[in-house]
Amino acid sequence: MLMEHAASAALSTPVHTSVLWLIPFLPLFGALLNGAYGLFCKSTGRKAPDTKLVDLIALGSVGVAFILSVYYFGVLLSQTPANRSIAQSVWTWIDLGGARVLDGVARNTVDWAYKFDVLSGAMALLVTGVGFLIHLFSTGYMAEERMDGRYYRFMAYMNLFVFSMLNLVLGANILMMFLGWEGVGLCSYLLIGFYFDKEFAAIAGKKAFITNRIGDFGFMLGFFLLFQIFGSVDFDTLMGMTRTIMARPELTIFGLTHSPTWWFNLAGILLFVGACGKSAQIPLYVWLPDAMAGPTPVSALIHAATMVTSGLYMICRMNFVYANAPAALSVVLFVGALTALVAASMGLAQYDIKKVLAYSTVSQLGFMFMGMGAGAYSAGMFHVFTHAFFKAALFLGSGSVIMACHHEQDMRNLGGLKSKMPWTYASMLIATIAIAGIFPFSGFFSKDEILWKVFDGWYRHGQCNGSVLNLVAWIMGMTGAFMTAFYMVRLMVMTFGGEYRGAGHDPHGLAVASEAHGHDDPAHPPVHGHTHDPKEVVWNMWVPVFILALLALVGGFLNIPHSLHWIGGAHFDQWLGPLLYQAGPAHAPQPAPAIEYGLMVWATLVWAPGAMLLAYLFYGLDPSWARPRAFVKRFPGLFRWVHNKYFVDEFYEMAFIGPCKQLGAQLWAFDTWVVDGMVNGAARFTLLWARISYWFDAKIVDGLVNLVAWLLQQLSGGFRKVQTGRVQNYAFVMFLGFLMFAFWKFLA
Amino acid sequence: MNPTLIPWFKNLPLWVTFIPLLGALLLLFVPKAKRRTFELAALGITILDFALSVPLWFQYDRASAAVQWPTVMDWIPSLGVQFSIGMDGISLVLFLLTTFIGFIAVWCSFNAIEERHKEYYIWLLVMQTSMLGVFICQDMFLFYLFWELMLVPMYFLIAIWGGPQKLYAAIKLFLYTLTGSVLMLVGILAIYFLQKKVGMTPSFSIESFQAMAPIIVQQTKTFQILLALAFFVGFAIKVPMFPFHTWLPDAHVQAPTAGSVILAGILLKMGTYGFVRFLLPILPDATKILMPYFLTLTIVGIIYGALVAMIQKDMKKLVAYSSVSHLALCMLGIFAMNPNGIMGGMFQMINHGISTSALFLIVGIVYERRHTRMIADFGGLSKTMPIYATIFMIMTMSSIGLPGLNGFIGEAAILMGAFQAHPWWAVAATTGIVLGAAYMLWLYQRVMFGSINETNAKMADLSAREIAYFAPLVVAAFWIGLYPMPLMQVLQKPIEKLVTQIDPNYFKAEELKARNAEAARIGQAGMPAPAHVAPAAESHTPAAEAHGGH
Repeated sequence: MLMEHAASAALSTPVHTSVLWLIPFLPLFGALLNGAYGLFCKSTGRKAPDTKLVDLIALGSVGVAFILSVYYFGVLLSQTPANRSIAQSVWTWIDLGGARVLDGVARNTVDWAYKFDVLSGAMALLVTGVGFLIHLFSTGYMAEERMDGRYYRFMAYMNLFVFSMLNLVLGANILMMFLGWEGVGLCSYLLIGFYFDKEFAAIAGKKAFITNRIGDFGFMLGFFLLFQIFGSVDFDTLMGMTRTIMARPELTIFGLTHSPTWWFNLAGILLFVGACGKSAQIPLYVWLPDAMAGPTPVSALIHAATMVTSGLYMICRMNFVYANAPAALSVVLFVGALTALVAASMGLAQYDIKKVLAYSTVSQLGFMFMGMGAGAYSAGMFHVFTHAFFKAALFLGSGSVIMACHHEQDMRNLGGLKSKMPWTYASMLIATIAIAGIFPFSGFFSKDEILWKVFDGWYRHGQCNGSVLNLVAWIMGMTGAFMTAFYMVRLMVMTFGGEYRGAGHDPHGLAVASEAHGHDDPAHPPVHGHTHDPKEVVWNMWVPVFILALLALVGGFLNIPHSLHWIGGAHFDQWLGPLLYQAGPAHAPQPAPAIEYGLMVWATLVWAPGAMLLAYLFYGLDPSWARPRAFVKRFPGLFRWVHNKYFVDEFYEMAFIGPCKQLGAQLWAFDTWVVDGMVNGAARFTLLWARISYWFDAKIVDGLVNLVAWLLQQLSGGFRKVQTGRVQNYAFVMFLGFLMFAFWKFLA
Repeated sequence: MNPTLIPWFKNLPLWVTFIPLLGALLLLFVPKAKRRTFELAALGITILDFALSVPLWFQYDRASAAVQWPTVMDWIPSLGVQFSIGMDGISLVLFLLTTFIGFIAVWCSFNAIEERHKEYYIWLLVMQTSMLGVFICQDMFLFYLFWELMLVPMYFLIAIWGGPQKLYAAIKLFLYTLTGSVLMLVGILAIYFLQKKVGMTPSFSIESFQAMAPIIVQQTKTFQILLALAFFVGFAIKVPMFPFHTWLPDAHVQAPTAGSVILAGILLKMGTYGFVRFLLPILPDATKILMPYFLTLTIVGIIYGALVAMIQKDMKKLVAYSSVSHLALCMLGIFAMNPNGIMGGMFQMINHGISTSALFLIVGIVYERRHTRMIADFGGLSKTMPIYATIFMIMTMSSIGLPGLNGFIGEAAILMGAFQAHPWWAVAATTGIVLGAAYMLWLYQRVMFGSINETNAKMADLSAREIAYFAPLVVAAFWIGLYPMPLMQVLQKPIEKLVTQIDPNYFKAEELKARNAEAARIGQAGMPAPAHVAPAAESHTPAAEAHGGH
């Protein structure tokens, strides 16, 4: 079944690819082993599988996949830049026969194939590497599940997710990407609803899946359109053909003639709808905050570090479409900027520690899309990586906090954990500085690069003649960045600063009725209650967080912007370079304008620290939070509006979901009364007709028959009287007859 | 065909078709009270039948579009009626689906059927033969015979072993589909007499009917359209397409589980098979004229079925309405009239046979345990029934077209095909995909998730027998989802032939294989800067080479 891809012939030195397929498949095997064995044990009433064994299989499979990814990434980097692609076609997946496309008949054949180049390879490293750390964290976080036999299921789902995600990134064609795309959706659904006996978790899972399906609607149409233009869904083929397609003055598809740019815009926008769903952009972001119903490692892995970035990856992979689709890029830019701003503002008014991070994720994804929209693919992708580090650290750190504080998620009931959980505190602090974008933490290099590229799209070396949209987006992005720094410090201060408010000690009346045990693990109310002070979590939980924080600290040095080239090289940018479609001739980099340095200094010395200081002033220096509380009191409507995410969910319920159900009910009534009514009506009509016929038959037709009979009967009645049986009568009649005959004879 | 095959092996399709009937005849002599005998014998016969049908899969010559295993005998020579059987790839896959679903339908009945076992299993076996007969016959007269024969066992299965309103449902099914069949018969006779009229030797063979296509085109438009409508209504009732679908929910809800499985798994495929086999190749032009109306009905069916399914309170009714939606999607693929669409349509038939049958079995499982099918009566079953939950989840995902499972292959192919032919209709149909996920996941959530009550907590998970009959369906779902190539190879040539019959020029366009391979080579390691800037790479840039063909 395994065959070497022909493409390997093009490589300068043959690369040993026969185990490339193991990168995605190892986690699959892990999932199958754990899942099947656990299910077998459960259904036959045996003891649940040994959780140590489950750990070994789950972590081992992801770990080996990570090592393989490292190996292949090393192989890639040893090649010349033009040869950095390793491909393997495992089997022919589908062959739908010939299809009429733009230029003729193309065979619609799709291979189950993997493509390991710098982009997908880096993503694979991220998925397996961060994935491994989060698996490790889960072994501690899900410890309570070890008792009740649900543990194997969690690990199997996590491995299955890694498999799907690797298919998404390593897939060599759109259909393989779609396979992973839907697969991660399924795993997300299963993991959000992991505590399925809780209604809200099950509903949140369903919401995520269906919202993503709405995105898929666009994604599918987008790739159908690409197939119609190119006659292929293979990334290499699409990439290699784009230039010839673009060189044509116009394309005629479905009888419509438009310029190639027009068609690429359409395809780009359709695909972006899919990205909106998966990567939680306006208007399809609503599922992500609800997805926090899942266990915290799930939030870290799926809803922060990997799955939600697949929309970004998709756009970067399809950069040949977007590079030729300016209108689609503008849409991406604007939606990204809007999401970055709106989601950040919602993060300001949340008390649930995971909700803050959820909105933060949505907002950061918006930043990444801004980067894509500005045409800075490598900057956007780089933010995917740095964000994965610091956001995973933040989520896992918050998981540690939640765990230590007995499933308390409301930050008003936390506080004072700085000294109690030093490792977690240190890790989350590093991640906070990183996300705020302070030099030289990783967030600075990625986020400010994005914002600069957006700004530069308008500024253009002092000409200021670029798209005004870029300027607007830049202002929105800067505002979002300010809010980000603010809410992150707010989160840190509320959680780690001041005194612990969970143990009944609450001098400022900040704590609220606890919703704990309702959110994360409902099945196991803590035995000790709230009286025990939180303490640092076990090593297998804080170590992964700390590693991620270190990565967040130094990760930025992988891609130093050109303007700061004296610090280091833009490695990531250079790696990605050959994979990006160059519309025009490449031009030598120009010296960075002074304003770039100015903005950098402004962002890292004034803007972000200003926001952080402001938050510290409000929440840190004043332990009673008087000013924010006064603000909430003064503008209760505004606060409620922001706190409830601008009532977007309610709007959707009212505008789409409700009417949809109502329409269903009405159609059913229509079905019952009209469509089926006609069928039954036909039957009734036939019956009625049959009754009339029967009446006619009984009364008229049979009546005639009976009439004849009756008449005959009546007649015969008369004659019967003649038949008396008396000889005298007969003789008399005979005599009468004879008399009449004689009378007639003689008289005539 | 391998000429060295021993004669009976050559007639394997015939054997497979009539073994269930022979078995039924044998069972007639078994005393009524021996319930176990009937169960095991029926299972044995259907499994044997399936096992015998598997070699056909390997015998089939994939390189040919011709009818294979042809057997022709004179039957009523004066009328041109022949006993003519044989199969091409399209028939073969449905034939195999029938033998496959057949033994599952028998196996799932062991507990569900409480009375009159003898008749029940005999009728099931007769049903099997009549359905298999539809797929192997190559003569319209014979086809019509089997087509009608099929109704009789189904009628009894519903009318005797059905739910509270079984008589209403059975009579509705019978009369409704009979109406369609009669219209179809009118169509068949019209073509038959047309043969006479144009001076051909009248024959009922399907081949001669398909050969009539160019002659029918020369007739008046009214004649063509009426003829197409006669066939259309006949098949559309069977599919069933909106607005001829209302017999289906009633029949499904009232039928015993096995009845629903056969109904969904195979019976409905007769309609779609009829479209592929008769309407498209015999009347391509009239179909094209009527296409906007047909497409409207399919799109309405997709969305309407999904919306109505969403608000159902009865699980079985929900699955029944989802069938309406799925089969409308199947029809969309067939009406795309291109290889992708028809391939998708064929796959959708098989997939629907697998996933919807499985869903009916799934409903049957809880019905057997609780004697209710109301969604509101359930909740939280995942907790106590893990294997059931897993299978239900797999089938739900298969039904909503998750890549990696069977449903996706059909759905994607249909939508791609439809998109190539009628982009706007495909856009409308794609919304059905969203709704499909909504109603299935909502069903799953309400039945399997949430808190569990005491009555439901006592429900047992699947027994070994139940696992055994679900297992083949699950395996098939994964097999088709991950490696559908063998099926595609079987279907490829017949579909190409069919598309050529519909549109002789379809494949007469430039083959893009070489161009795309060249592009793949160029794009393999990314995109270098345009040629005029990097002279060193000039000869390898795409602009010069890949474009050469245009």
